[in-house]
Amino acid sequence: MPTVRLRDVSEYPEATRKLFDVAKSWFKYDFPRPPAMSRVMAWNPEFGGPHGRAMKRAAAPGEFTRAEKEMVAAIVSGVNACDY
Amino acid sequence: MTAHTAAGKLQGFAADAPWYEAAFVAGITNALNVAADGLAPPGSGPLLEPVEEERAGAALREVFAEIRDFHACPDVPLVFRMLGRDPGYLAELWAAWREAFTDNALPRRLKASLAFAVSLTTRSGFGTAFHLDEMRRLGVGEPGVLEIIGVTQMFSSYTKIADTLQLEPDMGHIAPVDASPAPGGRAG
Repeated sequence: MPTVRLRDVSEYPEATRKLFDVAKSWFKYDFPRPPAMSRVMAWNPEFGGPHGRAMKRAAAPGEFTRAEKEMVAAIVSGVNACDY
Repeated sequence: MTAHTAAGKLQGFAADAPWYEAAFVAGITNALNVAADGLAPPGSGPLLEPVEEERAGAALREVFAEIRDFHACPDVPLVFRMLGRDPGYLAELWAAWREAFTDNALPRRLKASLAFAVSLTTRSGFGTAFHLDEMRRLGVGEPGVLEIIGVTQMFSSYTKIADTLQLEPDMGHIAPVDASPAPGGRAG
């Protein structure tokens, strides 16, 4: 169980709520509500913004495809023993 | 892990075969790194006397030749020569390694990159250097290397944020399910 209360979308400022739409296009999936990590990172856009942009810069298609990079991310998460 | 497996399936790796292969690469990479780093610590000589090729038996020499050929290296890496003290064990380990890194559902270039990410994440000096060399040998350029470093670093951040807050997986259900049977088997 999370150690913090994850806020509902309606509890975020209007400007921040727009960022949740980015998750839909990034994952190509119409989430009924944003994933927990998206809501965590939106807590502080001054942190979550640049962190997310660095991730997207690294994970965007380049020499490797987006799918290949998601596989790298899954392996890194597995090695770090992270279930999320 | 659940989120990125789901995301990877949505982005193009919808079948299970690539994920089985990725898991095997992660496992065998870690297995070799454990022995390579643990049995030859920095600043120290090898803790087990490595087998010299000219003194190896015929079966072991054959394995050593395969290792040199598969990795296009002039010398057999030290870890394999230490493990060669039990030729039967090395032969089986090598067979699993070779199978894991052979082109199949995933190309070898990606498998080397996954192994590099595993090694970087686990701070394996041996594995990081070995698989970085392999990536370059298999045609990955500097931008590609930096892409893998970036993804490894950023998702080492996300995993710690998720763990610290004990987030529960909430994306596993979005992945398509592969209903095909195991290789050679029949659908249930």
